[in-house]
Amino acid sequence: MKSLFKVILTAALCSLSIMYAEEQTLSIIKPDAVANHHIGEIIARFEKNGLKIDGIKMVKLDQGRAEAFYAEHKGKPFFNDLVNFMTSGPIVVLVLEGDQAVAKNRELMGATDPNKAAPGTLRKDFATSMTKNAVHGSDSLASAQREITFFFPEGL
Amino acid sequence: MKQERTLSIIKPDAVAKDHIGAILARFEKAGLKVVAATMKHLSLKEAQNFYAIHKERPFYNDLTHFMSSGPVLITVLEGPNAISKNREIMGATDPKKAAPGTIRADFATSIDHNAVHGSDAPETAVTEISFFFKPDQLCARSH
Repeated sequence: MKSLFKVILTAALCSLSIMYAEEQTLSIIKPDAVANHHIGEIIARFEKNGLKIDGIKMVKLDQGRAEAFYAEHKGKPFFNDLVNFMTSGPIVVLVLEGDQAVAKNRELMGATDPNKAAPGTLRKDFATSMTKNAVHGSDSLASAQREITFFFPEGL
Repeated sequence: MKQERTLSIIKPDAVAKDHIGAILARFEKAGLKVVAATMKHLSLKEAQNFYAIHKERPFYNDLTHFMSSGPVLITVLEGPNAISKNREIMGATDPKKAAPGTIRADFATSIDHNAVHGSDAPETAVTEISFFFKPDQLCARSH
C-alpha cells in the first residue's frame, strides 16, 4: 500500500514538474523609464505577477558595453539609435525568477512597439516610442543566461 | 532646498513580501531619485560592521541576525533634503507609532521587522553610502 502511494506520488510530482518550469530571465528598465520615475511601478508589476527578484543593480552603460550587449543587432538600421539611447542615462538591470519567467516577462512587457502593445502591459503604460520602449526582456532561455552573465559576472 | 544623498535599505521582511517595487515607487513619487542600487544578502559580519554604532545596544544581536536573514535592496536616493524627506516617508521606527501613509505603517510588521532603513544625518549618509558603494557606482541623474 505504502509503495503504491509512493508510485502515485512520484507520478504526480513528475507531471507537475513538466508543467512547472522555474526559469530566470534578464530585465532592463531603460533610460526613459528611469528618467520618468517608473522604476518602482515596473518592479511592482513583476512582483505582483509572481516573478521573484533575484538580483538588481543600477548601471550606466558606456558605448562599448552597450554595443557588446546588443552585438547580435550590429549592422541593423536601428543599431546606432539603440546604442545611443541605452547609453543616454542610467538603467536598472534585474534578474527575475519564476515559472516560465522568460515568456511571463515578455507577456508583461507587451509588444516592442507601444502602439501595438496590449492594454495593461508595461510598454502600453510606460513606453513612448519604438526606441524609448521602457523595458528589455530576454527573448529565450539561452539569451537569458548570456545576458545574466553579462551583467552579473560575479554571480547573484 | 539642499540637494542631498541618503542611503536606503529595503530590509529582508519587505523583500520577502514582494514590496520592493511599491517602496521604490513611494520614493520616486516623493521626488527622490535612485542614483545607485544593488541587491545583496549580507553576511552576519557585514551586518555587524554596518550597525557597529549600535554594538552596545540590547537590540544589536537581533538586528544583525535579521538583517542577514535574507536579501536586501540597498539604494542611494538623491533629492532636495533627501535625508529628512526619506525619514518622513519611512515613518516612525515602531510601525505602531508610524503615521498613516508612511512606508512603515503600510509595510512593517514590528519594530524589528520594520521594512526600511534610512540614514539619520548627513555624516551617517556619507559613511553608509561609502560602506556599500564605490564612487563610480553612483549614477548621475539629469532627469
